Amino acid sequence: MSLDAACSTRITGQVSGLYVCHACDALQNIAAVKPGAVATCVCCGSTLLRNPNGGGERPLALLIAAAILFFISNIYPIMDIKIAGIEQSTTLTGAAMIFVELDNHLLAAAVWVPGVLIPGIVIFGLLYVMGSIQFNLGFPYTKNILVLVSRLTPFGMMDVFLLGVLVALVKLVALADVILGPGFYALMSLIIVYAATMSSLELHLLWDSLDEKPSSSLE
Amino acid sequence: MKRQFIRAKDHGVAGCHTCGQVVVLGSHQQALCPRCGCAVHYRKCNSLARAWALLISAFIMYIPSNTEPMMYTSSLGQQGADTIMSGVLYFLSHGDWPLALVIFSASVLLPLLKMIAIAYILIMVQLGSTRRRIENTRLYMLAEVMGKWSMVDVFVVSFLTALVQLGALTTIEPGPAGLAFAAMVLLTMFSAMAFDPKLIWDQTE
Repeated sequence: MSLDAACSTRITGQVSGLYVCHACDALQNIAAVKPGAVATCVCCGSTLLRNPNGGGERPLALLIAAAILFFISNIYPIMDIKIAGIEQSTTLTGAAMIFVELDNHLLAAAVWVPGVLIPGIVIFGLLYVMGSIQFNLGFPYTKNILVLVSRLTPFGMMDVFLLGVLVALVKLVALADVILGPGFYALMSLIIVYAATMSSLELHLLWDSLDEKPSSSLE
Repeated sequence: MKRQFIRAKDHGVAGCHTCGQVVVLGSHQQALCPRCGCAVHYRKCNSLARAWALLISAFIMYIPSNTEPMMYTSSLGQQGADTIMSGVLYFLSHGDWPLALVIFSASVLLPLLKMIAIAYILIMVQLGSTRRRIENTRLYMLAEVMGKWSMVDVFVVSFLTALVQLGALTTIEPGPAGLAFAAMVLLTMFSAMAFDPKLIWDQTE
């Protein structure tokens, strides 16, 4: 593959600047986006750029909360069931590990990777990048981590996992006594905090903030 | 009403898929984004061929994921096999229609609608249609985000299997449909990602 970086020039500025719509390729200039406002494509109406309220502090605070909830929801059991005196409980990872015990490794990966691993990488990766930007710490590899996070985000299925837990819960209530564990409540809260984090974050703005610092990771 | 918009490609520039950086490509087909280091193209490479290949594979996996059993239950010596549809019918017969609706739409209807939507957009692009571009772009965006919800039944089975391991009393084991399902969901997601929505806008009116 012959890659040529020499011909590329930087055009984008800060919150305003030249943008190419990712959906329809319309080239347009965006004037400053007010906090809380959204810039949409003049041609197809897709979102080009958001400038969420709360600056950098809100997403960082939410990310710290998400990281704590992520630990709790993964360490503590999601639910206990009791059938005829026999008790069983499981954690999120335990629900995947049962497939390893049953020698179905692919299925275990299909559950654990989107349900636990990818959300974990996204939360802690963003925490690392945001922390570095917000406190001017200049951590190494922030750009590489941000690339990784934006590639993996579509494959994070924590919210789908929660829906699965809820459906399983309804099925089990008919058969057994079910006691919800701390992990369940942590997971419920995590989904809400995670959604709030994602809506308070604009990756374009993170890239712009990383640009202001001397490149620490590439080349 | 036909306003003409400037297409980045006509001016030799392209937007980076990862970080949004506007990069001047000129006559080059590919360059490295100066900001994030990812490859930048005018259009995703072999977009239509890759999207079709992944979509057809996804459709092939859709068949076993609905016909094969999702899980095996054995309760006091009695053996049973559950497919997606038998689970839906079980909830319906118990009057639990909201849950039946969730499972049916997430596992049966949604993947099918998503595959039809992608196929429709691919055909429209190949026919060079310029009709309903905004609607088709929205349809594509919708198909891209809703795909992952079909995984819900795989998670349900993993939870039930982990919890219901009560020796001779009751045990639940996963069936072959679980893996087919996961493969189908991933393949439809890859298919949607392989398609470049900018192709919808490439035909001049």
